Amino acid sequence: MSDSAAAPTSTGIDNKKLIMWLFLASDCMFFGTLISTHLLYRKLYPTGFTDAEGHVRFVQNLFDLELTSFSTFILLMSSFLMALAVSAMHKGQIASFRRNVLGVIVFGLIFLGCQVYEFTHFYHKGLTIQNSVFGSTFYVLTGTHGTHVAIGILWLILLYFYSFTGKLRGHVGALDVEIAGLYWHFVDIVWIIIFTVVYLVEYLGPNGIWGSAVTTLAP
Amino acid sequence: MATAAHHAPVTDKTELPVERSDIGLIRPDRTTGLLDWLTTVDHKKIGILYGAFAMFFFLLGGVEALAIRTQLAKANNDFISAPMYNQMFTMHGTTMIFLGVMPLSAAFFNFLVPLQIGARDVAFPRLNAFSLWTFVFGAFALNVSWVFEFGHLQGWFNNYEWYGKLVYKDFAPANGWFSYAPLSGTFGQADAALHAQRFTGVGTDFWIIGIQILGVASLAASFNFIVTIFNMRAPGMTMMRLPVFTWMTLVTAFLIILAFPAITVALIELMFDRQFGANFFNPTNGGQPILWQHLFWIFGHPEVYILVLPAMGIVSEILPTFSRKALFGYPIIVFSGAVIGFLGFAVWSHHMFTTGLGPVPTAAFSLLTMAIAVPTGVKIFNWVGTIWGGQVRFTPPMVLSLGFIWMFMCGGFSGIMHSSAPADSQQQDTYFVVAHFHYVLLGGVLLGLMAGLYFWFPKIFGRMPNAAIAYVASALVIFGFNLAFGPMHYLGLTGMPRRTHTYQPGYGWEDWNFIATIGAYILGLGVFLAFANLVWTAWRGKRTETDPWDGRTLEWSLPSPVPAYNFAQTPIVATRDAWFEHKHGGARIGALADGGPEGVHMPSQSWMPLLASVGFLMIGLGLPMMSMGIPHLGWLVIAGLGVLFLGIWLWAIEGPGGYHLKTPSAKSVAPTPTASVHS
Ligand code: HEM
Ligand SMILES: [Cu+2]
Repeated sequence: MSDSAAAPTSTGIDNKKLIMWLFLASDCMFFGTLISTHLLYRKLYPTGFTDAEGHVRFVQNLFDLELTSFSTFILLMSSFLMALAVSAMHKGQIASFRRNVLGVIVFGLIFLGCQVYEFTHFYHKGLTIQNSVFGSTFYVLTGTHGTHVAIGILWLILLYFYSFTGKLRGHVGALDVEIAGLYWHFVDIVWIIIFTVVYLVEYLGPNGIWGSAVTTLAP
Repeated sequence: MATAAHHAPVTDKTELPVERSDIGLIRPDRTTGLLDWLTTVDHKKIGILYGAFAMFFFLLGGVEALAIRTQLAKANNDFISAPMYNQMFTMHGTTMIFLGVMPLSAAFFNFLVPLQIGARDVAFPRLNAFSLWTFVFGAFALNVSWVFEFGHLQGWFNNYEWYGKLVYKDFAPANGWFSYAPLSGTFGQADAALHAQRFTGVGTDFWIIGIQILGVASLAASFNFIVTIFNMRAPGMTMMRLPVFTWMTLVTAFLIILAFPAITVALIELMFDRQFGANFFNPTNGGQPILWQHLFWIFGHPEVYILVLPAMGIVSEILPTFSRKALFGYPIIVFSGAVIGFLGFAVWSHHMFTTGLGPVPTAAFSLLTMAIAVPTGVKIFNWVGTIWGGQVRFTPPMVLSLGFIWMFMCGGFSGIMHSSAPADSQQQDTYFVVAHFHYVLLGGVLLGLMAGLYFWFPKIFGRMPNAAIAYVASALVIFGFNLAFGPMHYLGLTGMPRRTHTYQPGYGWEDWNFIATIGAYILGLGVFLAFANLVWTAWRGKRTETDPWDGRTLEWSLPSPVPAYNFAQTPIVATRDAWFEHKHGGARIGALADGGPEGVHMPSQSWMPLLASVGFLMIGLGLPMMSMGIPHLGWLVIAGLGVLFLGIWLWAIEGPGGYHLKTPSAKSVAPTPTASVHS
């Protein structure tokens, strides 16, 4: 997008790279606000939600930690492939770039698939965006992250096809890929944070970090 | 880029064969007329457009203000109804802040920053055009609510089913400029049709989506300006040689990128509450309306510095020019600006003293708020130090700048009074607060921006505004302003509540309210006169030389109006106030050997930023209409998203393009060529 990609800059940092870093700084505040909303409400309402039949449900019984750990691992690995794709691009190995980027796209899609499965699964267990504060904060936070992943996948698909036009090459091409990579790694790191503070901490101690008495009250 | 580098330089792009993007679309190449204004990527033209729209919205917001003041002129008045009054003050505040002050500041960022740092454009010219059009369409989405309100009053919708089902029929936003939950949100259990019940009409939905779109515009512009200031400086233009206006632009842009995400999230949450029955702020289901206040003010307090720092930057350019002295304490001014920006993130709860935060947070926020007055005071002392002992010339921009210092200081004093929590609990939601923020916003920011307009207008259009009219207008503005807002201190302290459409006789408020209304009309006349003078000047004003004020910074070294490529040759800067030093026997400005026979590289124009912004327009119209319950409008929103992505995709693959423009480097007014680099 930069209209002056080749020109030397005062700081020596490329324009496009700098603007991506700035966007990520802003996005940090964005996710920071969303995650804070979720955690504030968790502290306030440690029990989970009430389903359609009027049963109180606990978050620990809702989550499927195996599945989420799996999708987290997949997303981590996609970051690894992304790093390989960037490095291939720097060396001008376009075929290797395509292979790795395809891997990132597939892994990203698997992650999204898990999220879609998770959402429908939770929905059937009675968690909706409307029946509790937990439902609202959980779906909106993870859904927003999912949207970020989806945009990343779209971007990589476009880059993948663009590489066949032969125009994705040289310094500028490597830079374009590197910037997509920065975005992808960032979205990945945000997920690691979400996985930790939204999922894992629920299992700290016998009653979860928020003190909901899962062991004694579980339905 | 590569495709563009191979032709000989031209004087106008139309001399070249049409340029096609990578997928064969023709790129616009007119440099005059409507087609040019719609597709331009020139920061100067974008700046002019920002300024024109901002001045229009200032006048619109002014008309709304006069409607408010007319209603309050006497007790128990019925000039406008209570629901209309709510919509008036909401749209007045929202318009002034987001559609008046911010875009007018953006106009200065656009026009001046590249010139002040010795660059030929911003880092991302097309992104810049995108910011402009997104702002325009966000403003449009917000104000289109008036059309619906008008239709509602005229009975246009009476026969429609969706209209019958609406519980509240305020179509323009009516929650105040901070749209507090739960009033702006929902209550009760969401029913099967996804609608929890709302407290207010669809005006709130217009507000939510309008502010969201304006936020995108501000964010995109800020990313662009930070990169521009960091990366596009001319050789020798170190950070501590940057003109103060550019410095304040940088601080403001950082405030925007770090503060706007909080409101973005808050708006998303509120939108989910209203559209999809979520519970972020719905008290029935455990939502905490106080969360809205926190999120809003985490954005909202930095926002007041986003409004005022550019005006401070402008004044910091004008005072030295007309005192013929370097700015007193440049590093301190810059540092105070940065400290203000930093502390601005740590004082938001001073807007919430009366919510019962508890003694510790209240004390902490009280102290921090007092602390922020220190760097502000430092700036005032530095400005006074600048004038001190100088050869002062009372030109119109100087008069307005002095007005800025004086009025802003008054506003600062009442600000300090708010910072004491016990005092604030008496002042909150009274006219005293209204007086305070009008002294900082109108007496401060607006006077500063008007000073900037009168200062740089000769550079922008090469024509000098009529000084006599300017003095009269300034006098009317400053006098009318004090007549209108001075009495509000008294009204507020005697208990007159803010945001109430009328008052009963017998409280001793009638006289001062009447005087305030007269003051408001004088003020309105003054602003109108000042703007009319400028519009006339742009059309017909007297031509003037390139450097009429004996300016100090690089923009004054250029011809007026400034040519498309700005600098025929990139300047080499050796000192602060480079142009002033150059003229008056100090270090001289050098020049790179570019812009010679190969010409200057210019970015190509593009339709794509406008196209992508149209997507936002469709979303901005679709969502509120969906809220009204008009059938099928969801498709407009989906189509809008489609247009947005299409625009961005075409933008990405069309490539930056570009061509080479001839420069008259021989007869350039700008610094004499390389040979003169000595000191
Ligand atoms: C010395 C600097 C300042 C201090 C100590 C200060 C302090 C305060 C405080 C404590 C309030 C809350 C009053 C209440 O709600 O009861 C307030 C309100 C406000 N301030 Fe300032 N302020 C300062 C500068 C500014 C500036 C520079 C601007 C804008 C350019 C500004 C705009 C506003 C606005 C718009 C409100 C109204 C908020 C509302 O709608 O209730 N202030 N200020
Ligand atoms: Cu504040």
